[in-house]
Amino acid sequence: MTKLLAASIFTTALLGASAVALENGPFTAEQAGGGRALFVANCASCHGARLQGAGEAPPLAGSTFMAAWGNRSTEELYNLVKASMPYGNGNSLDAATYRSIVAYVLSANGAKPGAVALTGNETVRIAAIADGKMPVIADAPAPAAGAARPATSYPPGRFGVTVAGSLKSYDPVTDSMLAHPKDADWLMYRRNYQGWSHSPLAQVTTGNVKNLQLAWSWAMNDGGASEVTPIIHDGVMFLSNVANTVQALNAATGELIWENRIGPAPTRAYGATRSLALYGDKVFVPTTDAKLYGLDAKTGKIVWQTVIEDAKEGYSNTGGAIAIKGKILVGLTYCNRYETKHCFISAYDADTGKVAWRFKTIALKGEPGGDTWNNLPDEFRQGAETWIAGTYDPDLNTTYWGTAQSKPWTRASRDSGAGATLYANSTLALDPDSGKLKWFYSHAPGENFDLDEVFERVLVDHGDSKDVLTIGKVGILWKLNRVTGKYEDSAQTLFQNVFDKIDPKTGIPTYRKDVQAAKVGDWISSCPGPAGGHDWPASSYDPRNDLMVIPLHQSCVLMRAEPMEKKIGVGGDAGSQRLFEMPGTDGNLGKLTAYNTKTMKALWSFQQKAPFLTGVLTTDGGVGFVGDFDRRFRAIETLTGKTLWQTRLPTSVQGHVVSYAVDGKQYIAVETGLGGGSPVGKPTTLMPGVHHPNNGNGIFVFALPD
Amino acid sequence: MKLYCCVALALMVAPALAAESFETRLSPSPLTDGTRINVTGEGEVRVSLDGNKLTVSGDFHGLASGATTAALYDGLGIAIPGPKAFDLTATPSMAGTLSGNVTLTAKQAAALRAGHFYVQIDSRLAPDGNLTGWLLPPHPHLAQDEPVAGPGVMPQFDVKQK
Repeated sequence: MTKLLAASIFTTALLGASAVALENGPFTAEQAGGGRALFVANCASCHGARLQGAGEAPPLAGSTFMAAWGNRSTEELYNLVKASMPYGNGNSLDAATYRSIVAYVLSANGAKPGAVALTGNETVRIAAIADGKMPVIADAPAPAAGAARPATSYPPGRFGVTVAGSLKSYDPVTDSMLAHPKDADWLMYRRNYQGWSHSPLAQVTTGNVKNLQLAWSWAMNDGGASEVTPIIHDGVMFLSNVANTVQALNAATGELIWENRIGPAPTRAYGATRSLALYGDKVFVPTTDAKLYGLDAKTGKIVWQTVIEDAKEGYSNTGGAIAIKGKILVGLTYCNRYETKHCFISAYDADTGKVAWRFKTIALKGEPGGDTWNNLPDEFRQGAETWIAGTYDPDLNTTYWGTAQSKPWTRASRDSGAGATLYANSTLALDPDSGKLKWFYSHAPGENFDLDEVFERVLVDHGDSKDVLTIGKVGILWKLNRVTGKYEDSAQTLFQNVFDKIDPKTGIPTYRKDVQAAKVGDWISSCPGPAGGHDWPASSYDPRNDLMVIPLHQSCVLMRAEPMEKKIGVGGDAGSQRLFEMPGTDGNLGKLTAYNTKTMKALWSFQQKAPFLTGVLTTDGGVGFVGDFDRRFRAIETLTGKTLWQTRLPTSVQGHVVSYAVDGKQYIAVETGLGGGSPVGKPTTLMPGVHHPNNGNGIFVFALPD
Repeated sequence: MKLYCCVALALMVAPALAAESFETRLSPSPLTDGTRINVTGEGEVRVSLDGNKLTVSGDFHGLASGATTAALYDGLGIAIPGPKAFDLTATPSMAGTLSGNVTLTAKQAAALRAGHFYVQIDSRLAPDGNLTGWLLPPHPHLAQDEPVAGPGVMPQFDVKQK
């Protein structure tokens, strides 16, 4: 590991290498020529036709690629592509295809073909054969419009209302229903405005949960990441799928009532919105192409649609929506390119789709907080995406949202100095009527490791104290006063070495000195790594016991800041990563723990090899539910963490567990899903011996026998 | 900020009279999907510090190529790499043992007690690190899926209150 530090490569050295005569590459012209079409078919939808990268798919050509790969070998590149690509489907292509794609990528970086075909075993230093300058011939044509990602095999078919049907009746969702949901319903992402993911149903108890049986199941669209939350109202389940497909199902039987395949087919890693929203007589669908749809809840037909932001520029929405007093609030993701635009939270009239307000999550020059970006021009201030829909306090008329880290990931790549880069990695308290900022709290000023603090905001009262709790990738559970935004307390839930000081009065953390001093090219350690700590699989708050049950992930990373050209249209995360085991964990990536939110002390915890990939559900029956990477779905006793029941499902158990009732019978629903970003990608690398099928998005519903 | 010191690293206050023990699991060094084929294996290391005399013993297996070197490194903190401090002896094969006897300075002993020391084995196909493990005081090795009271094993990085 230490030699990696000594081997750090600086951009200047790489650029200098371009003046040196390049050796021929260890591939043939035939391989590179054939690789072009294979790249378009398998890779271009994520990495771009010009290999420029987009979202979490890094650039595969040019200075950023060479900075990351110049001093690494063709063997490592081949092994990485073969083991992990196409995203989520590593080793799914034949070896000749992988070789050709790698040959094309090398040629797209200026490598010249030689006489001997690439086998994948060549340990040729890439900077010795390539300089990052793309020849015209290597510029791949764009994939056909609407082309699906072939390796994830989204089924062909028409879009629109593909199954016509109508609910016999539909009770419009009111503000009162959202504020005081019926026990049998699950009307929003985390069930209630407070973000608890807790069901008051108590038919399933610690005593009878062992008798749970599968009531019904339903295969969902494959072809993209799926981390969805089923929404249930009056015995109807509204289900979001990959390709922005929405279905209404009989929640007791699984019978399909209507289906609208809004589309388009998935063209990136993230395939389905995490949550739909209900309000009035409509279902609201934020889509992966950054639009918002209002559907007729009875028929699934589109009533209105509006553009949140231009998807052609890479923007998306996967975080879901929340309905507040006649407005639908949504976030925005993939704001990691240098643009004159910036990420924002926005609200739309539920009846018409007309935009009500926007709140920009980046502070520009001259604005409050604009002096926290080291004087960077506005177009180079990016990130602060909102990956998760917010929560809401009706009494305070305030909505709470988390923001992601600024982009690129590291201070050195961003040139943001020690600035806090507001409003990245913050809790934002907004007026839902106007979008005006009431207060903000920056959890990790000047974040440096892809350690978001963007996840669930959980609203809890302790006597007169109105608190908001959240936990991010560093694994620190934060408690703020949600009236004022003032720091109240925090608790470390797993090993971390990112901060070496935390101010006990303000909660402001101080990064280690070596982190503060890091330059482009330095490998810097971070525990936890980018899978978290805690990630999007949300915690659950059990109000009966004042417990937050929190899924955690235990691994670390060495991250190297890569150079990022300051140019409009360029962008990305610009961080290379090498993963390793978190000390003291015995290789257990998964940890589940329960914290009392008043005392901020852990009641119990346990760990296991596989990380947890679902949000936690707790219930008034004293039973909690959670699923994991290794296909296990289990019930635990909330007060002790003891496993009471478990089963294996077809693939990784991923998404958000919900509970609802129909005709007095309680059901537990959970998704099996693929994709899922770092919480899936990192264990795939760290646990090569744990396998699950690379298809199998579906919903599984359990109940006690009659 | 609640600081949970389940692995007591506060022994640096005063030198202990009896021999102190440290241990680590060796696991694959920092890796990517591109290198993991060559960065495989696992192992265990046990260390005894008697006065300033450090005795290291351990074993490993599952390497994709033969071990070439093994050494103790003095990191900047738990899980933060640093320079090599001492060479160790390792069996030059894909499985075997490692050992060493070294004398620490007072500063090095303090660093060991603070969790800064780690063991690294290099191999032919992973010359920049194949197996790595941070030396910590003996701690419970929790059974899978078995809940324990509190936060569980959590090495404590030296977080300071301002």
